Amino acid sequence: MKLLTHNMLTSHVKGVTKGYPLLIKATEVKVNEVEFNPQFVSRMIPKLEWSALVQAADELGHRQDLPVELVPEYEKNEEFLKKVHRVLLEVEVIEGCLRCPESGREFPISRGIPNMLLNDDEV
Amino acid sequence: MAEPRSEGSLVRYYCTYGKGMEPFLIDEVKRKLAAEDVCQISGKVLFSSSAGIDRVSELKAAERLFLLLKKDSPVLLPAHTNQAKASSVLQSRVLGDKDQWSSAVMTWSRLQGELSGRRRTTVKSQSTALGFTRKTGEEGRGSEELKRGLVERGGQTCGAEAQTLEKKRKRDEGGNENAEDQRTSERDRKRHCEEERMGLSICKQNGKKGIISETDLCGTGSVCDHATSGLQEGSGRNVDNTAEDLTVQKVEHGTTTEGRDETLLQPSLIKPEPPSPAAVTFRISCKCTGSLSRYYSQQEVSRVIGVGLSRLMGWKADLKTPQLEVNIYLSDDNCLVGFPLTRLPLANRSYIKTTGLRSTVAWAMASLAQIQPGFCVVDPMCGVGTILIEAAQEHQDVCFLGMDIDDGQLKKANENVEFAELENRMHLLKASSMTLPLPSSTVDAVVCDLPFGRKVLCIGGTLVLLLSPQLSCVLKKLLAQKDTGPTSNQEAKPGKQDCPSPSLSSTKQQTSQIQQGVKSPPTQETKAPSGLQHSPPPPLSSLKHQATLRLSLGAIDGLLHKYVKMDT
Repeated sequence: MKLLTHNMLTSHVKGVTKGYPLLIKATEVKVNEVEFNPQFVSRMIPKLEWSALVQAADELGHRQDLPVELVPEYEKNEEFLKKVHRVLLEVEVIEGCLRCPESGREFPISRGIPNMLLNDDEV
Repeated sequence: MAEPRSEGSLVRYYCTYGKGMEPFLIDEVKRKLAAEDVCQISGKVLFSSSAGIDRVSELKAAERLFLLLKKDSPVLLPAHTNQAKASSVLQSRVLGDKDQWSSAVMTWSRLQGELSGRRRTTVKSQSTALGFTRKTGEEGRGSEELKRGLVERGGQTCGAEAQTLEKKRKRDEGGNENAEDQRTSERDRKRHCEEERMGLSICKQNGKKGIISETDLCGTGSVCDHATSGLQEGSGRNVDNTAEDLTVQKVEHGTTTEGRDETLLQPSLIKPEPPSPAAVTFRISCKCTGSLSRYYSQQEVSRVIGVGLSRLMGWKADLKTPQLEVNIYLSDDNCLVGFPLTRLPLANRSYIKTTGLRSTVAWAMASLAQIQPGFCVVDPMCGVGTILIEAAQEHQDVCFLGMDIDDGQLKKANENVEFAELENRMHLLKASSMTLPLPSSTVDAVVCDLPFGRKVLCIGGTLVLLLSPQLSCVLKKLLAQKDTGPTSNQEAKPGKQDCPSPSLSSTKQQTSQIQQGVKSPPTQETKAPSGLQHSPPPPLSSLKHQATLRLSLGAIDGLLHKYVKMDT
């Protein structure tokens, strides 16, 4: 699971009103080099929940020096985009789980794929 | 004599397509290849483009790609004609001008060269095998030789060539004068020899990783070199074959003597290589409909034209492993002749490891979603990920999210993502489409191939879908297009915005933003009257639309589509 994916994931366990952002408990994290595409990163930034990304990167120890607030005119800031690229696409949780902040329900991550399936009684 | 068309000049192609794909294909050739003179006849889209063959061969909506040799008015046989006359009419009408064939084959071999060059480059970049570069060089040269050979050959006068060929043929037959039958038997015998050679060629080809047999022609130039320089003096086994090759050699260079001829094939037996360039081996694939088909069987048409083509061009028929396939379509409306440019259909994607939904259909669905840079596109039932992979091939700056509840499918999807090197923009989750683990209004487009109840539905079974009005329209259109489509897959492009709170909806995607007012995504209900569950999954086309009922669901209307599965 890359942090780009994590940034979109929400827990919809029955009764939960704000199942976001999910807390990451990683047992295996990998950093793979991925080709840098500045356009892709710039296009994705407006869709991100910035604070959730920073928090997730922090939890995994890969925050580098990402600022708490999104920098202005980031499109032109290649150095910044590279950092975001690294956090979004290169850091990958292989094993671990995601924890719903409200219900505490844990969603396992196995071989890099988070399992967000709910049981019938949780829907 | 026409010059081989140089790079960047206009080439006329045609593509076949799965039913219903024609608007996509027409749009695609115009958009991506700046195609001119686009027209659609008898299940084919014809177009001219000066785009490189690499781009043409990357068309997504097409099934197969051909170089067009000619499109003509239909071949009509006069009533009550005799067999000989009819054959002659057929030959002259279909074959026509010799130069046209020479020039088309030159274009064809140039395009083949470019295609295989490209393929080799790809292989090369992954291969560290020694000697590979050398081989590439050789083949490149071969390609040149071939072109030159063809040009020279084309430059000969028809009469001289025909004469030579005729002489040769007679010699081969050892004085037997029974023309028509004779030629057939000659062909059979040659085919036999050819097979032997091909067998050997194949052995040799094992060494060339990733080079497909269609590139054979490109390698032939060097054989020609060896042969004409007479390096190998062997004894005359397999003389027939030699003779045929030699005929061509002779025409080409005008210097080879008959005495030498017989030694020339030997090298190819000892050191098997594809045959000489000008001696193109071919096979006719003919599709014949309308009045002509009542007069002739397709086999007969193929044979008559094959014989004519052999005579006209001095080529050899080879039903098993021809270098060139000649596709002929004869109907009451037109006569179409062309050469396939790729061995595999374009629909076989090189970047997909495990196929799910037919790639062309997946591509069409993705194209309907009108994906824009910066989009987030979700397939809530992605299976092995075909739709998203097709979409991701076209869109760089888009995030694709595939979900499925099945581990097996996800595993394959994951392999597909890695294989297609899309790890950066395509991500996978295990999740149910009923409760997508996404916040409201975060997704720009949803593409989905609904399971459609196809696996449980028996013939005569009913499928009822509850759809939003927009979804209904989309579905109706698709089904109308796919009416009798042979593409063997279910598909739909429900642009369904999964909104846990329906009041919030994205405003970004008109075509695919369709709110589901009801709790579940398109509800399906399958009824199997007899309870029978057999037969392989039928194509979507087997679902016959029966009725549409508009119902109020409170705030919005919903539509019930009723389909019955037909026996296909």
